[in-house]
Amino acid sequence: MIYLQLALEFLKIGFFSFGGGYATIPFLYHISQHYNWYTLEELSQMIAVASITPGPVGINVATYAGIKTAGILGALLATVSEILPSLILVLIVSKLLKKFKDNFWIKSIIECLKPISCALLASVAIGLIKPELKDINGMILLGILLALSWKSKKDPLFYILLAGIFGIIFHLFS
Amino acid sequence: MKKISLVKLFLIFTKIGAILLGGGYVILPILKNEFVEKRALIGDNDLLDYFALSQTLPGIIAANISMFIGYKLRGKLGAIIAMFGVIFVPFFTIVFLASVFNMFTNNFYINSALWGINIAVITLLILTIREMWQKTDKNIFFYLIFITSLLTLIFTKLSPFQAILIFTSVGLIYKFLSRPKEIK
Repeated sequence: MIYLQLALEFLKIGFFSFGGGYATIPFLYHISQHYNWYTLEELSQMIAVASITPGPVGINVATYAGIKTAGILGALLATVSEILPSLILVLIVSKLLKKFKDNFWIKSIIECLKPISCALLASVAIGLIKPELKDINGMILLGILLALSWKSKKDPLFYILLAGIFGIIFHLFS
Repeated sequence: MKKISLVKLFLIFTKIGAILLGGGYVILPILKNEFVEKRALIGDNDLLDYFALSQTLPGIIAANISMFIGYKLRGKLGAIIAMFGVIFVPFFTIVFLASVFNMFTNNFYINSALWGINIAVITLLILTIREMWQKTDKNIFFYLIFITSLLTLIFTKLSPFQAILIFTSVGLIYKFLSRPKEIK
């Protein structure tokens, strides 16, 4: 039963997440609140590990969520379910490359998905910041990290390592 | 055109999966090196076309573009082989890390680092939003959909899936009613 639910949730992610790996986070966030598969804290760890290990972030985090939920079989199921919709779409689109690009409905759907994806990510960012607002040190760190990326976004590895080191130094001295 | 064996295809994508750090935008130069420059199996323009399409399609960009290339070189089976190749090393890395990670959850250093990493994840989310925001042409339609869906998501318990269904339908009705005359 849990396998079926897991497959279904990750099929949804594969079909409806739009904009790359981090765009799957709103779905994973929703799962953490809806099922008892993993906690919000664990999700944060999963994203961190997924960002600093080889491979596409979105796939890594699916593998991790799958293993947390239902062991190695869960990992396989979540990963494959997430990619399956893309596989089908790639096969279809490869055949009608030209028509796809100029189709009115497809263009319109994409135009709708862009603002919705932004809104989904923004709502999750708000949900994650809320509990941290009372933590002044956390807010200072957030400010520093954002200031460092004012001009250009750096590698995810950079933020995770820097924030991890900051966390250790900060806790050693308090 | 030169033909590549399925085993070779799998091995190339396994290597790409193993050295890929980051996501969709990092894979492009690697693919260019492997398939355009080293082996001349794919044209530069084709690769850029696949990259644009991969961003347009739902799902993981790096997986999408790998499957496009696999399909171009060896058809359906090629797409599947490319997909399994690119996730092969990452899959076992994660499975391994997930099983050892639990041993460290009571460690002072790990927990302190995780406190900071929580903040790093929020930063990455904010930067992703900024990136998506900058890459889109924003018109009234964009702002309307963005604001209504954001407000709805904050004040209701709508799932991402439901939100996408509802607001895409609303958007499509609007698009259909305001379409240029020649489209039926």
